[in-house]
Amino acid sequence: MKQRMLTAFVLSLGFTMFAVGAGNAHHSFPATYVMDETQTIEGTMVQFLFRNPHSFVHVMVSDEETGENQRWAVEWGGASALAGSVDRSSLKPGDQVRISGQPGRNPEDHRLRMQSLEVIDGDFVWQGDFD
Amino acid sequence: MKTTTLAKLAGCTLALLLSSFVTGQEINFAGDWSAIFHEDEPERLPGPPLVEWAGLPLNEAGKMRGLTWDPNRISVVTELQCREHGGDYSMRGLAHMRIERVIDERNQQAIAFKTRMNFHNQERTIWLDGRAHPPADAPHTWAGFSTAHFENGMMVVNTTHQKQSYTRRNGIPASADRAFTEYWYIHENILTVVTVVDDPVFYTEPLVRSQNWVLNPGLRITSNNCEYVLETPIGDDGQLVPHYLPGENPFVTETAEIYHLPIEGLQGGAETMYPEFREQLGQPLGDSRFCTLDCE
Repeated sequence: MKQRMLTAFVLSLGFTMFAVGAGNAHHSFPATYVMDETQTIEGTMVQFLFRNPHSFVHVMVSDEETGENQRWAVEWGGASALAGSVDRSSLKPGDQVRISGQPGRNPEDHRLRMQSLEVIDGDFVWQGDFD
Repeated sequence: MKTTTLAKLAGCTLALLLSSFVTGQEINFAGDWSAIFHEDEPERLPGPPLVEWAGLPLNEAGKMRGLTWDPNRISVVTELQCREHGGDYSMRGLAHMRIERVIDERNQQAIAFKTRMNFHNQERTIWLDGRAHPPADAPHTWAGFSTAHFENGMMVVNTTHQKQSYTRRNGIPASADRAFTEYWYIHENILTVVTVVDDPVFYTEPLVRSQNWVLNPGLRITSNNCEYVLETPIGDDGQLVPHYLPGENPFVTETAEIYHLPIEGLQGGAETMYPEFREQLGQPLGDSRFCTLDCE
């Protein structure tokens, strides 16, 4: 299991570097996200949209204070850019995930730009960058 | 008589030799080209920050459109998710390119170049056969209608009939009335395209920029199909178009504060394209010691 995690991690970095410049520049990340901040969420993945121009991971996160569930949208690389390290089967609804990313400009939007993803009860790990 | 015959023979030989070549100015741009981003990389790859329009010849209408723009729009408004780049911006953004030359089989003359960009499979035809552009009210497309000719070792391309689009990915619009002129030239294995955008709706002067590619026979441009999805729950009732009303954009001064630059320069205008603008401001340049983001 550790070997698979390490392999996935290394592959994700390698393919991410290859993908930069060959991926998708759909919108401006500095315009959409606060690039010098990082926020971490933990919850249940409910939807994985593996597509172009950008993939999205939707996570239900329970608010620590109110206990209410809030749906977060985490933006990821496009399917073309992630190919090789990520595919449709990498994640499935129900996976418990921990995601770190750059937050959107309005906290009420509950959106992040993916920097790292870990399936807590699995063996998939991803860390990297994308355009 | 003998001299006349020899002269005719020499003339025919010379004409035959010349006719076996192209005009001498035609250039074949066919190939697979990888975009190079040493120019303006932050703008073209990750994207520009908010209200960073230095060097754009914007008029007041262009500035107002920029100040009322909300970046969530491209996620929330489903129709915008798969919107192609304009023919002009496609030469600017993530822009690996495949170029094919179309030959008229009857006379072996080049009649067009066809380009395909790696983003959203965008294709454009650049006509070389001297055809006229359609009437002004003909349908517009994302790529527009392009014709070209060769002069002074360059291919000069003229494009009209582009749909309304954007100049920069932080809210700066490009109108459907804009004209786009390109100057293509090759030196060794480098393709340089200088672009001139004339937009009478949002600019006071032409916008001139340049982009470069390197010939890459190993490049493989794959299919890049876009799919409409619910990217974010923001405004999921389908009624919201994210925007800011005039005067309500909370991020107007953000970039100026991060980089300690005067806001007057960052809000664009033709004067910001020229080095004399620094003297007009009467302020010192931003000190790199105060940079807090992307300082390298």
